[in-house]
Amino acid sequence: MKIIFWITLLLALWLNASFYPCSAETLIPVDPINIPISVSQYNDPILSTAPMRPPGPSEFGEPPDTVANPLEPSTSLYSTDPPIFMAQYGGVAQKEVSTTPSEPAKTGEPAETIADPLEPINRAFFQFNDRLYFWVLKPVASGYKAVVPEDLRIGVRNFFSNVATPIRLVNCLFQAKFKAAGNELIRFLLNTTLGLAGFLDPAKKELSIERQEEDFGQTLGLLGIGPAFYIEWPILGAFSFRDTFGFAGDLLLDPQTYLIPSIPLNLAIRSYDQVNDTSLKIGEYEDFKKAALDPYIAKRDAYHQNRQHKIKEK
Amino acid sequence: MKLRYLFQILIYLSLIFFLFEVPVFAGEPKDQLKQTTDKVLSILGDPSLKGPNKNKERRELIFKAVDERFDWEEMARRSLARHWVQRTPEERREFVQLYRELLERVYMDKVEGYSWNKLFYESENIDGDYGNVKVKILTAKDQVIYVEYRFLKKGKNWLIYDFSVEGVSIVNNYRTQFNDIIMKSSYQELVKKLKAKATQN
Repeated sequence: MKIIFWITLLLALWLNASFYPCSAETLIPVDPINIPISVSQYNDPILSTAPMRPPGPSEFGEPPDTVANPLEPSTSLYSTDPPIFMAQYGGVAQKEVSTTPSEPAKTGEPAETIADPLEPINRAFFQFNDRLYFWVLKPVASGYKAVVPEDLRIGVRNFFSNVATPIRLVNCLFQAKFKAAGNELIRFLLNTTLGLAGFLDPAKKELSIERQEEDFGQTLGLLGIGPAFYIEWPILGAFSFRDTFGFAGDLLLDPQTYLIPSIPLNLAIRSYDQVNDTSLKIGEYEDFKKAALDPYIAKRDAYHQNRQHKIKEK
Repeated sequence: MKLRYLFQILIYLSLIFFLFEVPVFAGEPKDQLKQTTDKVLSILGDPSLKGPNKNKERRELIFKAVDERFDWEEMARRSLARHWVQRTPEERREFVQLYRELLERVYMDKVEGYSWNKLFYESENIDGDYGNVKVKILTAKDQVIYVEYRFLKKGKNWLIYDFSVEGVSIVNNYRTQFNDIIMKSSYQELVKKLKAKATQN
């Protein structure tokens, strides 16, 4: 009896210690916000994109990296000086794992950047898409915007989004997100009826039930399939290799594919959807380009980060 | 007998949980972020600052409000990542300044360009000197944008060292770009591009 008691107590202690960051984990400084620190990549000249730890308040402005001495017996191991410790650790670990520098982070986080073996082709298609936007899509969308009032355009966007419900609903189910699937179902039923075929969004307005952004690419990602590499498709834009299949899967789940079997008509309607959508966000791409030093890299990275974020959610 | 042990275990458990409870400093980064945001919104809404001829004055006021909340050096350092180590103090100072100007322009475009209908402070997490605050923005066009601000505590102030929009961290995005430019050409080329950006806008 007593043995059971003590085992339980020890177990509880151990569990408890691993639940609270203040007990066991203070020994190994963990960046609570920027978790994806890859120790093996930290000092690597090519792969290091790992975030740096900030300096402690005591040495604000001092580069922690220059202070670090990997061989010095450290007093900062238990101190509140994580940057030095990280740098030391990085320095030592670098030597140990230098044979496999591309090894992903031990934290189990996905790689921070996406591979891009097709960069020259991708850049060419990026140029193409960029011109397509400025020369075709934007002028058309601007003209459309001048004629059609905003409320109606929002309604059209809602309508297309409502039609595409099966994509999100089925992928919620694929990902075992049953509550989200239920929300999508409620949204569809409510918005199709009360929301006048989906033009209005009473589910969000009145009940605060928001759209669940799930797609087949995320389902694949959740199954552990990595994005592989980046592809900039002409017209379609940013995709990873995985999400290209995801996109194909979504097309199979899209009622539009079956309701409008005529390919030219189908493409025309999809183009209209695109123009309508663009008319509601003219200026966003321009701002994005203005902020970027290399718009191609910025787009690729933003795409990758956003996809990883969506897969990780919930 | 069994029941007594069970009770004992429960008591010990609750005692342990009680002892290891992390002290919670509630409200700090969120309140400070709210202060800054409210200040910016009040500048934007100020009727005496409306009009094209007041643009410059308004921008300067917003810059001032935003400046206090951001830790530019930290952001610049994280964005350069390992390339930061190789820079001389002068180069660092110059870089922080250029980076700050770039980000201020980005921020201004966001602030002036989009209509922030409503702002909701969704959650706040604090872990030692780190904190993050998630904000939900409802735009005038019925879109929802999630923004997450990451804070580092400097003295009494919680300063932003990164923020992400829809999961895209600005620091990560710039780090990828900077790294690509430096690896393909040089740090000098990066500075040249930053300067060109400054004159372009």
